[in-house]
Amino acid sequence: MRDCLRFAPMIGAREGELEPAEARALEAHLASCPGCRAFAADTAATDGLVGEALLARANARDFAPFVDQVMARAGAGRARGGVLAWLSRHRRAAAATLVPALAALAFIVYVRLEGGGRNEIALLELASEGEVTMVLQTADGPVVLFGEEHGS
Amino acid sequence: MPPRVIPFQGLVNFRPRAPVSPVEAEDLSLVSKARAGDADAFRALVVRFQRKVYALALGIVKDPDLAWDVAQEAFLRVHGHLAEFEGKSSFSTWLFRIATHLSIDAVRRERTSRKDDIDDVEEADLAGGGEGILSTALGNDPRENLLRRELAGQIQAALETLPEKHRTILVLREVEGLSYEELAERLGIHKGTVMSRLFHARKKMQAVLRRYAGPALARRAGEEEEPGPETGGPRGGGSPRPPGERAEE
Amino acid sequence: MIRTSIAAAALVATLAGAAPAPAHAEVPVRVRVIKGARQGPASLDPRLEDLRRQLSPLAYLRWEQVDERSFDLALGKPVFVDLPGGDSVGVTLQERRGDTVTIEVALAARNTQSRLTVEKGQRIVHQVAPEKGGAAFFLTVTAWP
Repeated sequence: MRDCLRFAPMIGAREGELEPAEARALEAHLASCPGCRAFAADTAATDGLVGEALLARANARDFAPFVDQVMARAGAGRARGGVLAWLSRHRRAAAATLVPALAALAFIVYVRLEGGGRNEIALLELASEGEVTMVLQTADGPVVLFGEEHGS
Repeated sequence: MPPRVIPFQGLVNFRPRAPVSPVEAEDLSLVSKARAGDADAFRALVVRFQRKVYALALGIVKDPDLAWDVAQEAFLRVHGHLAEFEGKSSFSTWLFRIATHLSIDAVRRERTSRKDDIDDVEEADLAGGGEGILSTALGNDPRENLLRRELAGQIQAALETLPEKHRTILVLREVEGLSYEELAERLGIHKGTVMSRLFHARKKMQAVLRRYAGPALARRAGEEEEPGPETGGPRGGGSPRPPGERAEE
Repeated sequence: MIRTSIAAAALVATLAGAAPAPAHAEVPVRVRVIKGARQGPASLDPRLEDLRRQLSPLAYLRWEQVDERSFDLALGKPVFVDLPGGDSVGVTLQERRGDTVTIEVALAARNTQSRLTVEKGQRIVHQVAPEKGGAAFFLTVTAWP
């Protein structure tokens, strides 16, 4: 019975989920324990029943309105980014006038340069893997910078 | 005329991951488009995963309407945090992780008793093995698939008898197919606790199913013993004769 | 590390294999390694005149070209460009749709990649090494130069 306490929770493990020594010990125990063997057989026989049953219920339900409801609720509350907080941290010497423009779809900051204001560029700060990257998107193409500050 | 600003398109400074499956690659493509504001791409993601998310939520929260709300909330959370999705895990893993936590939160808001949420395996838990009746009932005989479908119909009732922690781990194991390690990470528990909770969940589920399977098996046995038409051949009819072959006299 | 991120409206990632292109879809590119320095009088290497507008918002005042190579990029096949200091950069054509290409710039030393989509007439400018002593190196990629 003490062995059953140890081995019963191992029953139902998939390949690779037990250490090789554990798997061998379980196999040896099952060979000698009718109770655990019966549990193992029933576990194998019923494997997947829960998943099948729940997915069958999901398939039986009318999901036609689901995505429309999600989209309606998503449209009501747009993702909010800390644009103003970001602007205050990343002022650039070249940015004489900052004109934040909240586009209908997301947040792009258009930075109007000194000396004419004809070069509108998008200044983006992107994060990936814990590293910050600055991207200047210009009409001539992107400029990708590492996250160190370059402004004075 | 001022130069036209072309919106930025790209990913910058990300670390290469192991090759993704075509399905995962397609998901990531939809995610990227959704991040750019492509509503159709986000719709496609919702439609792709809505039933599975609902099934997962249903298994945990039990109530179909609550599961519907939880599933919608999961997609809304994803939509609101698309910018922060870094692609370290697959999109589906991220989505199901959110759905899991929302489901658990929904249940715990309504939970009144914790006394059944045990993790330790004790000797009393090992009793009542049932001698493998389920494996006998569900064997490999294709005729028994009908019983499997009948048992599947009892699953919801059986799941509802499980305490929340046991129900949750069984649902995640079977609906999402998570491994022991993934379950441990998802639920913030040790692998040993994963295994003991699954043991408790399966034990209880099997006990409920056994109560149904026993009578069903008995009914089936009764149907098989009814006498059939005389065939003149071996009992049970044997195999059909090929066309043109005359019966032996 | 505290992460900050902003969702860009048109942030679109095209992944390898997402859109197959004809096998003969090679794209001629010109790749230049350039150096920007904060110190010294403002000057722009005459060979970099086409980059003037793109580089002007940056804090570097002095720009010079260090290396230049031209080659054809075949889909999915990286070409490696050596950098001063011994590191290298992998440049790979990921996708081509008409006059638009997605190019991957992979920095071996940092184990990072960027994938950027540009139209004919645009250029990618990508920092390839951290700033040292007030100077930084960049790679520029021009498709159909």
